[in-house]
Amino acid sequence: MLINLRLLPYALLAFAPWQQVAALAVNDAAPNCALSTINSKQALHLSDYRGKVVYVDFWASWCGPCAKSFPFLNELHQQLHARGVEIIGVNLDETPADADAFLAKYPANFTIVTDNNQQCAQDFAVQAMPSSYIIDQKGQIHHVHLGFKAGEAAELQALVEKLLTTTKP
Amino acid sequence: MPKLRCYFLLPMLIAMSLVLSGCSSVAPWQRGTLAKPQMAASRSELAATMRSHNYGSREAASSSGSSGGGGCGCY
Amino acid sequence: MAATKISPLQALTVAALALPGLWAADCQAEEDEINFQYSRYQESRRNLIKTPNHSTPIEVDSLFGSAKVTLADRVKFAFNYSQDTWSGATPITVAPLVAGSNQSVVQTVKGSKPVVVGASPIIASRQIILNKNLKPLAFNNKGKFLGKDLRVVNVLSTASPETRKQGDFKLGYEWDEAALYAGGGISVENDYESRFGNINGRWDLNQKLTTLNLGLSYTNSDTSAIIDHDASTYLTKTAFLKQIDNQGAYQILTGNRQDWGSNFGISQVLNKEAFVEANVAYTRSTGYMENPYKATTVVFVDPEQPGINRLIGDVKALLEQRPDERDQWALTGSYHQYIGLFDAALHFNYRYFQDTWGISAHTFEAEWAQPIATTWTLTPRIRYYSQDAADFYTPYLTSKQAYEGIAKDATGREILVDADNPNNGKQYFRNDDFNLIDSSGNLVDENTLSTIPKTVAFDPKKLPANFSSDQRLSAFGAISGGVNLKKQITKGVSVEAGFEYYSHAGGLKLGGGGEGSYADFGYYVANASLNVNLASLNAGRKPGDHTGHSAHHHHHQGGAAPAGVMFAHMMNKADDVMVGYRFMHSHTGGNMLNGDGIASDASILANGCATRKAGCKMVPTYMDMSMHMLDIMYAPTDWLNLMLMPQFMDMQMNLRQLDGAPAPKLGEHIHAGTGHATGGIGDTGMYAMIKLFDLSSIHHLHLTLGLSAPTGDVDITLRRTHKADEGFIHYGMQLGSGTWDLKPSLTYTGQLDDWSWGAQVSTTRRLEDKNASGYALGDIFESTAWGSYRLNHWLSASVRGLYSAQSAVSGKFNPTPGLVKGKLKKNVNPNNSSVDYASNYGGRYWDMGFGLNAQINNGDLAGNSFGVEWLQPVATDVNGYQLDRGGAISATWAVAF
Repeated sequence: MLINLRLLPYALLAFAPWQQVAALAVNDAAPNCALSTINSKQALHLSDYRGKVVYVDFWASWCGPCAKSFPFLNELHQQLHARGVEIIGVNLDETPADADAFLAKYPANFTIVTDNNQQCAQDFAVQAMPSSYIIDQKGQIHHVHLGFKAGEAAELQALVEKLLTTTKP
Repeated sequence: MPKLRCYFLLPMLIAMSLVLSGCSSVAPWQRGTLAKPQMAASRSELAATMRSHNYGSREAASSSGSSGGGGCGCY
Repeated sequence: MAATKISPLQALTVAALALPGLWAADCQAEEDEINFQYSRYQESRRNLIKTPNHSTPIEVDSLFGSAKVTLADRVKFAFNYSQDTWSGATPITVAPLVAGSNQSVVQTVKGSKPVVVGASPIIASRQIILNKNLKPLAFNNKGKFLGKDLRVVNVLSTASPETRKQGDFKLGYEWDEAALYAGGGISVENDYESRFGNINGRWDLNQKLTTLNLGLSYTNSDTSAIIDHDASTYLTKTAFLKQIDNQGAYQILTGNRQDWGSNFGISQVLNKEAFVEANVAYTRSTGYMENPYKATTVVFVDPEQPGINRLIGDVKALLEQRPDERDQWALTGSYHQYIGLFDAALHFNYRYFQDTWGISAHTFEAEWAQPIATTWTLTPRIRYYSQDAADFYTPYLTSKQAYEGIAKDATGREILVDADNPNNGKQYFRNDDFNLIDSSGNLVDENTLSTIPKTVAFDPKKLPANFSSDQRLSAFGAISGGVNLKKQITKGVSVEAGFEYYSHAGGLKLGGGGEGSYADFGYYVANASLNVNLASLNAGRKPGDHTGHSAHHHHHQGGAAPAGVMFAHMMNKADDVMVGYRFMHSHTGGNMLNGDGIASDASILANGCATRKAGCKMVPTYMDMSMHMLDIMYAPTDWLNLMLMPQFMDMQMNLRQLDGAPAPKLGEHIHAGTGHATGGIGDTGMYAMIKLFDLSSIHHLHLTLGLSAPTGDVDITLRRTHKADEGFIHYGMQLGSGTWDLKPSLTYTGQLDDWSWGAQVSTTRRLEDKNASGYALGDIFESTAWGSYRLNHWLSASVRGLYSAQSAVSGKFNPTPGLVKGKLKKNVNPNNSSVDYASNYGGRYWDMGFGLNAQINNGDLAGNSFGVEWLQPVATDVNGYQLDRGGAISATWAVAF
């Protein structure tokens, strides 16, 4: 009896779903998901931005590191927008009012859109909050970055700039 | 009895959680409610430390955690 | 999860990470913060059944501080500090009620009946009568038999204030899905020192839906307890003789203890609105685990006494004995659920505890966190606890043996020894004719040798190996309820206040069978705290941006003032908030001074205690004072700043006898040896700073108007010792002024390039002639000037001169009536030491200060500044007879929003 009990936990492990983790990989085509601007029904598609380097950042109001990333994204927009970099912040809040409150505290000068039915998040298979996807001018994913820490800003900026110089517009 | 617990409980806890994890699949962007401040497991650490010190000075079942130490509680 | 194409390399990488999984940022991530908390714990009076209880119950004043900062991207550092000062009456032992161990202190006044005014403990040297079943019997004053009385009662003894301080730190590294922390700390108090270290690891799985935690800790503690001077002669300590050191008049009991702890926990998200946690902990403790101040009453009943139905029992108190080992297990489960209807969260927690001392305990806790109107959070909580008694717990013991008996040899003959030389090994007996014979049987002439019976102590093996009457190990239940209210004041600062009431009762034990109601007590605790969130400091600012609020006024104001100067800096933007902490420690010691010269013991003897006929007897040897001050500043407009400054103090000092002082009279008690300590919350200041002018951003002048509220105790008394009440502890050891005080000051600062300078005059005027205890501290005048030079962009150094003057204390302590050996004395306030006299306070002081200031201008921690300053006494001219000054150090931290 004792021996049987001891084996029970290990037997249970058979029922554990060994998670199949699938992620969007580098060099995959970026999904052309439908996005809309906050508070309006105007629709946008990622394919609209072909020919520009696109930095897609998935964020939400309840996410601490997202607040830290906004100053960096603002800086990036200010410096590189003229050179053909489009930063798109995709909001994943389930309550739009929360997103508005967050933007009031941490204003953004880059494009903010919302993903109404979380379809885009699923297409991109977002693994973490925030998640950033750097997409080149041809629509290919060049880099996937999970989370945000202040020290990573320089590295991300370098990656974006590299895409600007290596690929002819 | 403690020995049985040792061999049984620990693996049991791990197994249960892995099984339970299959029941839940909360996507990373759906963690908003869990991130609310009132949902935090410990909302005020200093107050919790103070309470634990008060209880520990009057009760035998002190919380054996990783903090250790701290006076003989000999009020 | 949707499957998409994965290249072979990706698949391998993913598979390798499959068990830990790819991580997802935990959005309950900890943010950098600094917290301060004050709490006050107050117990209820214990029921002594037959005697009134006038002793102050246990009170504890505590201060807590904690800081969590991110040093580099992934390196986190946490530091915690706590200190408590506690005093009051606590049970030493439990005794049968008929033993009358809480002796009524009777006030005998001529012409009226004696009145009972209090209780003092007598823990041994009493006798009680028991029946043949060893149950205590009660008799009234006239000797009339009243029947069996099985009641027991706590025997209380009062402790003088004692302070405990603890500091600990944690340093860790965070990977994407894991973290590792190492930490350690030390806790110090007069009689106990504990050092501990720990390691913690965290591992996130399943995109952070599952988290595993593992912790290991080691603690090593040393007890060095001075056995209560009063109780010492009554305590039987034979079991611990090897651990007792005799130092002069005091006996010190030492012991060492080690604890090895481990814990493993799992946290699992169930769905979008709930998660659970489970934890198992195991601790192994070895060594000296007794409480050195607790004893167990043992009633020794000599089996050879003549009585049968009326047996005489000797009531003795033995230091408690606990096993040398203790294995403890605790299983905890928590459930956290979001309640959408109220936007609240319910937290439920259950813990089961079991150890090898026979104690098993259940704890149920529930909390409801309710946000109200965006900035408030109300959290009521309830808790129920129930435990079994330890196997060796007993209110008291009876033992069928004499406490001290006459030694007998194998045949039952009483052994006699030489009265003049009892330990020479020679034994004598009485033969059948009652003549004295030696061990060989030869007659001994009793004219040449006087004999006494050889005494033998009780046999400890006839007692249980372990026994304790500490309520902490008894069977009881406890229920407590409390509430916490939190308010967010501004973007980074929030305050919290909480209250809890706790009731311990044998009757509350789960399943019944708890200790009797004599052991019941309750306590309430109130706490207040301030939380500063450093992450909000720089929110919304671009990295490398120097135009935010905080950086703005640091550049504007130039170098910061030295750490020892208060009210030197004003915020000049409306709605700015600044939080700061200041620590100050000063030491006086060395020579005794009179005026500006050294005073000899002879002169202090003659003149130091002005009104005492017999002259002075004691002088202080040293006095240390530590102050922790919190200042919270808010600028309603750009020319007005409001500040609240609560403070927490602790003081320690000791005294010595003067050379040439006459020997103590019979019954007169000399304090020297252990010293005195006090601690707790001090006076609270409220200030308004008004800008008078700002000239071309070089010169600045402001006026500060302050009011100090007397929240610090001024009625701390010494404990009753040697059957004598002792009155108020001297003026310098009280925690506050006891009066409302006006504190105006005028401050000028200037800055140009790398130089900055300033000057300040300030005064403290007492608004009342005397406080509730009958005296008022002297008025204070201070003037100071300083210069500071910026060494590089973050560090500056300062030099300062300070002149301060304080008048002597006016008035004196109200007379405290008290009882000395049963007789009422009109005033028992101490008067045999120079510190007891109001004229020996105040003086004129000249100091020089040397300081350093640092400011963090970049990165996440920008806006924090630190300062440290050493104040070196240059000249001292004291009123009367006082200790020389050793210097003071100030250290500050401030953060501006």
